[in-house]
Amino acid sequence: MLFNSYEFIFLFLPISFIIYFYLTSKRLITASKGWLIFSSLFFYSWWNIAYLPLILISILFNYSLSKSLIEFKEHNKNYISKKRLLQVGLILNISLLIYFKYMDFFISNTNFVFNSEISLLHLALPLAISFFTLQQIAFLIDSYEGLVEEKNFLDYTIFVIFFPQLIAGPIVHHAEMMPQFSSRWNLVKNYKNISAGLFIFSIGLFKKVVIADAFAQWANLGFTNSATLNLLEAWAASLSYTFQMYFDFSGYTDMAIGAALLFNIKLPQNFNSPYKATGIIDFWQRWHITLTVFIKTYVYTPILRSFSRITFTKAMFATFAAMFISGLWHGAGWNYIVWGSLHGVALVINHHWQKRKIKMNKILAWFITFNFVNVTLIFFKASTLSQAMEVLNNMITGNIVLYHSLDSVLSFLTPFGVHFGTVFTHIGEKPKTLVYIIIAFIIILAFKNSNELTEKFKASKYSLAYIFTLFIVAISMLSNFSEFLYFNF
Amino acid sequence: MTREEVFTKTHNIFKDIFDDDSLNITDSTNADDIDTWDSLNHINLVNSVEKEFGVKFALGELESLKDVGAMIDLTIKKLSK
Repeated sequence: MLFNSYEFIFLFLPISFIIYFYLTSKRLITASKGWLIFSSLFFYSWWNIAYLPLILISILFNYSLSKSLIEFKEHNKNYISKKRLLQVGLILNISLLIYFKYMDFFISNTNFVFNSEISLLHLALPLAISFFTLQQIAFLIDSYEGLVEEKNFLDYTIFVIFFPQLIAGPIVHHAEMMPQFSSRWNLVKNYKNISAGLFIFSIGLFKKVVIADAFAQWANLGFTNSATLNLLEAWAASLSYTFQMYFDFSGYTDMAIGAALLFNIKLPQNFNSPYKATGIIDFWQRWHITLTVFIKTYVYTPILRSFSRITFTKAMFATFAAMFISGLWHGAGWNYIVWGSLHGVALVINHHWQKRKIKMNKILAWFITFNFVNVTLIFFKASTLSQAMEVLNNMITGNIVLYHSLDSVLSFLTPFGVHFGTVFTHIGEKPKTLVYIIIAFIIILAFKNSNELTEKFKASKYSLAYIFTLFIVAISMLSNFSEFLYFNF
Repeated sequence: MTREEVFTKTHNIFKDIFDDDSLNITDSTNADDIDTWDSLNHINLVNSVEKEFGVKFALGELESLKDVGAMIDLTIKKLSK
């Protein structure tokens, strides 16, 4: 079930909310938790019930394993050491992810290298597997390191499966979530949270339906016609995707945060105006923050700490390796690996820069950062590397075509290869694209982000009218129910 | 070990890692106050604190060591165990 669908907004969300607080008001705490689990499983199964057993087995397995890790007694006679136990857990979780997500990628690359003909498995990616695997890996490692005390199974299950964050994050950490689920204070309806929740949910819905879905058409057409784009079209297509990505993913996250807030649960912030970043280090502290924190804590740090003496060079190696893995985590494809590697290299350069204490003009720094993000997202979006190169190539050497109406004023440019005609033919023939791109730039640079707005939110006549307007506009455009980009990861 | 002793030793570690003998720290000093307190130096700090006091931090704890005070409090908590 998508957040941007009638059945979610008008049926699923209200029903799960009303019954949950009916049960808590009758002090049926266990039943209310059971209800939250049931509704989350229902939400998950709406797409494809076939993978329901998989997520349930994963939860049961990881919970039992973490229990063994927590209760492990060193002096007892054990068949297996504590460290081995953790390794088994990590290997099984990662193997599950590799099997469903990467097998066909490995097979097709093997076929390519050895000219073999191993047939592909064509497995459908189990929804949310990339996200619940990470969350449970963190839980296992923390159990091993003694940071987890005996936990309630219901709270653990809700932590993994709570529907607002289940499909595409924010990647939550048990230490910040499980106390919220076990707290009695959160069992009473809180009108301040409800109004703030509806506020950020409406912003997210608007971002997704009104902004991201508009950019999506132009980005999709542009990448389909990658070979024939003129210069302006190529730029418009890549910028469209860059804006689609932000408004789609952060819109989804806003809706997740809003839906969770109705239940008095605070999900962590995932975006902090990333396109205002003035460096790549800065960018990753603002973009998909919960992934950055996870990668830093559970990938970068262990790699670095495995060295006996830590030097700058080794830290840069760990940085690159972490971004490479992050790229691979996003998807089984060379384009994601290229994207991750480019960001890895950029982070290394940025760190060198910082180490030498070189200062750069803020506007220039923003310009370089934004364009780097925009160009690397071409690899992220493209289905093949050659498609990415075509878009990129046309952004540099494509034909320069300007609007008809400029012909009389700028005709002196004709000898320099400038043509006049219809500009955006290959991405949908809509001059609207240009207007949207300009508006999007204004929004990302001049406006406060949804988290800043929600923090200062106070229920009043004006704010309610504001929520209502955003909501109605978004609902009226809700027709094609497009999926969120991050559901594929 | 008193909190003052832990603080003094931690202060020396900071001077050493950031290569600045005149560096002053308080409980609320954080990465915003020291330019070169990045993820690399954060791990250097943690490693030095571990070595100095003979304690061990878990991966899941490193993100919470946002300022000097948090670092000292967790060190003391581990020393008293």
